[in-house]
Amino acid sequence: MSLSTQELARYSRHLSLNEFGIAGQEKLKAAKVLVVGAGGLGSPSLLYLAAAGVGAIGIVDFDKVDISNLQRQVLFTADDVGQSKSVMAAKRLTALNSLIKVTAHDVELNASNVMSILSNYDIVIDGCDRFATRYLVNDACVLLRKPLVSAAIHRFEGQAFTYIPGQGPCYRCLFPEQPAGDLVPNCATAGVLGVLPGILGTIQATEAIKLITGLGSVLNGRLLTYDALDMRFAEFEFSRRHDCAVCGDAPTITTPIEQSAACASPSDEAGITTAELQMLLTGLVAADLQLIDVRDPHEFAVGHLPQSINIPLSTLDSQVHLLNRNRRIVFVCRSGMRSQQACAIAAQVGIFNTANVSGGLQQWNQTVDSTLHCPL
Amino acid sequence: MPSPSCNVTVASPLRSYTKGASSVTACGTTVTEVLADLEQQFPGMRFRMIDEQGRIREHIRIAINTQMINDLNLPLTSRDTVHLLCALSGG
Repeated sequence: MSLSTQELARYSRHLSLNEFGIAGQEKLKAAKVLVVGAGGLGSPSLLYLAAAGVGAIGIVDFDKVDISNLQRQVLFTADDVGQSKSVMAAKRLTALNSLIKVTAHDVELNASNVMSILSNYDIVIDGCDRFATRYLVNDACVLLRKPLVSAAIHRFEGQAFTYIPGQGPCYRCLFPEQPAGDLVPNCATAGVLGVLPGILGTIQATEAIKLITGLGSVLNGRLLTYDALDMRFAEFEFSRRHDCAVCGDAPTITTPIEQSAACASPSDEAGITTAELQMLLTGLVAADLQLIDVRDPHEFAVGHLPQSINIPLSTLDSQVHLLNRNRRIVFVCRSGMRSQQACAIAAQVGIFNTANVSGGLQQWNQTVDSTLHCPL
Repeated sequence: MPSPSCNVTVASPLRSYTKGASSVTACGTTVTEVLADLEQQFPGMRFRMIDEQGRIREHIRIAINTQMINDLNLPLTSRDTVHLLCALSGG
């Protein structure tokens, strides 16, 4: 795929690299890369892939731009809030480089569409924010024999690795199953340093460009970790598991499967609805209730139920003595994830008279009292 | 004679146990002993990494220096660093 005069000028700094040259740039032009998630990781990787001249870029994201995204998702501006992420991202990339083809997939990736979407691309970059999607994308890449560049972030820490079909371990070899009960919260609940995905997303773009051009070596069988607080990179070697469910010698996953929400959060046995909480709070049994809001203090300060006390999940371990074993304890949080974890922590110290509010204060806001301020 | 102590780095999701510390020291001549010492120092931490059958949980990996391990009884020296790694989901 030869380069036009315009392209020769645009990519001249690449062409000046002996290792890259016209041949490398032509490979980029011929390449088709899919980025799953136009979020913190997807933003920098998409921008750099478009700027570098990757000929066809796909973007999968069904979400809409939220004001809280702008702290790190540098693809978007304040004018984009409320708009489709994949559509606005495609618009931004086309404005950056009109010589490439950009396709927005404004859909939620699932078991029934993942194979057809991924099959149109050479390389997949995973920048999603859910474990279920991570495993779905990994499995589809193994089944389709597509290279996968994976990264993930949490607060001040990130990790990245690259899967090459037939040459190294996959994501399931690294972490065979997702945490029960979503014990590892995503950015919305745990917070994230805004520049952190900038580092990891850029690493993903670098890996994709090296895979396309054949330059250097990639993170095949190596997990790269980055700690922004200590400003420390480390890497760890790992191998393919012979018993891996998808890439092992006798795979049990032969078509994409979706890890259901129930699987992601299997321990919601203690869940009560917001209507049940309302009854508990207004009934005669209110005095028998201890309502504990396990969000962080800054979230609690924005808005909370007046009957609740604040014990952040991160400190619950050390404050279990505040739990009243003689009352019914109800944990509440933003969406119902942290409150589930609180039940698990209480159970570890032998306190089982607990419940958590399914859907959390977001659900309360939608179904009981819309005047309650609860940050999204 | 006390067991040698080694450096332990702690993945971000596990730092709620270590009061936010990214690295701590723990005593032991094997990873099993180091995890037991960590449990003494930070109650509840071991259960987040090791299940009821004594196996490493499937979203957790443990490395000695740069090599991920499956055998918790591999010997350690005070020059070794144990890394506690955890699957992350954020993007």
